[in-house]
Amino acid sequence: MLARAHTFTIDGLQPRHVAVEVDIRAGLPAFTIVGLADAAVREARERVRSAILNSGYEFPAKRITASLAPADVPKAGAAMDLALACAVLAAAGQLPRECLSDHVLFGELALDGEIRACCGTLAVAQATRQGNLGKLVLAGAGTHEAQLVEDLEVAPAERLSSAVRVLRGGEPDAAPASARAPGPGRTAGPDLSDVRGQHHAVRALVTAAAGGHNCLLSGPPGTGKTMLAQRIVSILPPLSRAEAIEVTRIRGVVDSIAGELVTQRPWRAPHHSITTAGLIGGALRGSLGEVALAHNGVLFLDELSEFARPVLEALRQPLEDGRVAIVRARHSTIHPSRFMLLAATNPCPCGYAGVGERCDCSEAELARHRRRLSGPLLDRIDLLAQLDLDGARELDAPATITSSRARELVTAARERQAARLRDDGAALNAHMDAAMLRRHIRLDGRGDALLRAAGERGMLSARGQHRVLRVARTIADLDDSPRIRACDLGSALALRGDAGVAGRRVA
Amino acid sequence: MSFADRRPAAHAACTNCLRRSWLLAQLSGPLDFICSSPERLVDLLALPDEKLIEALAGRRRSELHSRHAHFSPSELTPAVGVVEICRHDGRYPPTLRGALAPAMLFASGDLSRLSRLTTHPMVAIVGARKPTDYGIEMAGALARGLAASGVTVVGELADGITQAGQDGALQTGAALAVLPSGVDVAPPARQRSLLARMQRVGVAVSELPCGSPRRRWSTAAAVRIVAALAPLTVIVEAEDSEHELAGAHIAHTLGRTVAAVPGRVTSRASSGAHVLLREGASLVRGAGDVLDLLCVTGRPAERGDGELDGLEPRLRAVLDSVAAGLDTPHKLIGGGEPGELLQALSELEVLGLLARGDGGRYVPSGALGGAA
Repeated sequence: MLARAHTFTIDGLQPRHVAVEVDIRAGLPAFTIVGLADAAVREARERVRSAILNSGYEFPAKRITASLAPADVPKAGAAMDLALACAVLAAAGQLPRECLSDHVLFGELALDGEIRACCGTLAVAQATRQGNLGKLVLAGAGTHEAQLVEDLEVAPAERLSSAVRVLRGGEPDAAPASARAPGPGRTAGPDLSDVRGQHHAVRALVTAAAGGHNCLLSGPPGTGKTMLAQRIVSILPPLSRAEAIEVTRIRGVVDSIAGELVTQRPWRAPHHSITTAGLIGGALRGSLGEVALAHNGVLFLDELSEFARPVLEALRQPLEDGRVAIVRARHSTIHPSRFMLLAATNPCPCGYAGVGERCDCSEAELARHRRRLSGPLLDRIDLLAQLDLDGARELDAPATITSSRARELVTAARERQAARLRDDGAALNAHMDAAMLRRHIRLDGRGDALLRAAGERGMLSARGQHRVLRVARTIADLDDSPRIRACDLGSALALRGDAGVAGRRVA
Repeated sequence: MSFADRRPAAHAACTNCLRRSWLLAQLSGPLDFICSSPERLVDLLALPDEKLIEALAGRRRSELHSRHAHFSPSELTPAVGVVEICRHDGRYPPTLRGALAPAMLFASGDLSRLSRLTTHPMVAIVGARKPTDYGIEMAGALARGLAASGVTVVGELADGITQAGQDGALQTGAALAVLPSGVDVAPPARQRSLLARMQRVGVAVSELPCGSPRRRWSTAAAVRIVAALAPLTVIVEAEDSEHELAGAHIAHTLGRTVAAVPGRVTSRASSGAHVLLREGASLVRGAGDVLDLLCVTGRPAERGDGELDGLEPRLRAVLDSVAAGLDTPHKLIGGGEPGELLQALSELEVLGLLARGDGGRYVPSGALGGAA
């Protein structure tokens, strides 16, 4: 007797359709799984056997062969348990075989027959809808995530017996109550009003958030670089519906607890010991890196100069293209990675360069520090937010701005950008290319003269000029000015990202 | 020039002088031990050959005595493009003749350039190995002004003030560097480009034979040649320590003029310069003061004041605040309007009156230093 059930395996971000075929023949009792299954899938034999028996069904004492098609795609994870169990039951005649054809079964089985939610629910739900494969049967915990896909019939099932009931045409289990009311995301996390003093750096951070510019925070230890960086999420506008679906899908692949629509922008802050594969992805087949997890959000690199040089170099493509193509010998994949880079660094290894004579770094140490930061990565940083020891002492000062006010400013500035760039397919000033800059940037006479003089003086490369123009456009947007004034351009020039590391200790 | 011409011919210098240079290279190890005291090192280097061997050679004494007696110039390999000048040579810098005169100078670069540079007035710009941004800017501005006026800026090839000075001098004129190693030995990576430019436009000299590595003692010994070479030594920024002020003390002993650039009185980095000023060193505020000291006639017109006079008042105010020590946007903005101020800072930077130091700090640059 032969039965065929449908399920998915997750490969990187992409779900791949898998047909689980189970054949039961007379012979010595055995249970074999073929089709490039990894250890978790092979162990499904034991889970499936126990779950079937503990749910009150019979496990056939015959020769069972399960084949996972297509046979040449490696399969990973425990999410195929449910499909295997149902196919076994159907092949054994305990379930009508036809009812498997218009269902997708996705879930891991506990030994007592309970169904557990698995990673990648949203991705599987989208693929089910796209392939018109019918009803999606999955654990109750994943229901809300799967229901984000429109026009998809989702049948939550808490146990194997419930899944069998659904397959026979019965009612699904009730979906668990939503953990929180759906609605516009509240600003969670720490508030910008906690930051006292440092008004210059706070303003620079708001500018960076408004235009989606990559930003470098530079200052002596203890001046609040990390504190400031952690508050950027609270001033970014909430995700749009489409962005939220993308983020939820990505997070769901690594983390089955997502459960609901993610409304807050991702914030990733990997430790500086991270490897290239950890940052970019691709350690195992198609595994996601931090750049993909930070998609539509913020990637924060604290102590930038401590990161390994190859790791920083690897950031160049994701920063430039908004996606990362990982190509290995027998595998290639593309992950989205449009994020805002936020980095923090001390001005020198000891942290006190320029603060009187407190710095005790040698010339060689300074040169090494500078070399590590400078170069290609710095070329992609638009803004420098300088923090100041004096600024850190102003603990009694009133807060520069609260998160909610900053968020209003940022949202308003982003709306202006989106309106201007609508026809160009971009949404943020940071994403303007050379052609868009030509179309949308008009300078007044003084601004033009200033920019030209800076270029002639060797302060700016051609790429640097573009960066300054983008930032100037954002500063003007924050002020609701249709034109870029000389003071906007002057500010952008003073805030340019490479100024912080081009220290000239060696004249 | 054909290949045969470029091949080093026989040594041009006299054997006794070459022998002295060879001996110093042989005694590098023991000399390193005593170089912790600059004075003692200078005294030792003034000893004649035989006494130097007695004082330093230890167990190698008899061996060195016999090798010294049977020395032949062929033991020193001459390198391509390196000129040898001994103290009996007419081209030997006249200012260097005296008690401390090194026996040999190995020079890389153009020979005619060497004689031209050493007949021009020479000024040594020396100071701290780890200067502040202020010191770097001052040394650079001073050297640019002096080199443009035809003065040869002299310094040992070392980190900090001397490097900033030579870098500045090479932007507008020529400089002379005294190397602590053989002239054909590669310098540390961070000084490579400076040395390359030096060999193109200026001259690099050393008292050690080709191939001698950089040692601790040879760095201190280069200081003494710099002090002897220049009739005027300017200390831009130095701490009050024996090592940082070694050049000034040697110059003083030799009867050379010593001048110093003041810093803030609370600044430790300038404490040595202030001690010198108290002891009677001349005060230097810019290239003009140095030229006054050299009594060079026909000094060029001060460019700084005129340029600053034409400055808009709002820019002038910002520039003055930066010069007064408000060096980050945070301090400068205070409670004011950020846009205007940042624009002013950018304009000043574009005009070359401000530069960015470590961590993006603003440093007064160029013309301001020359204006004093």
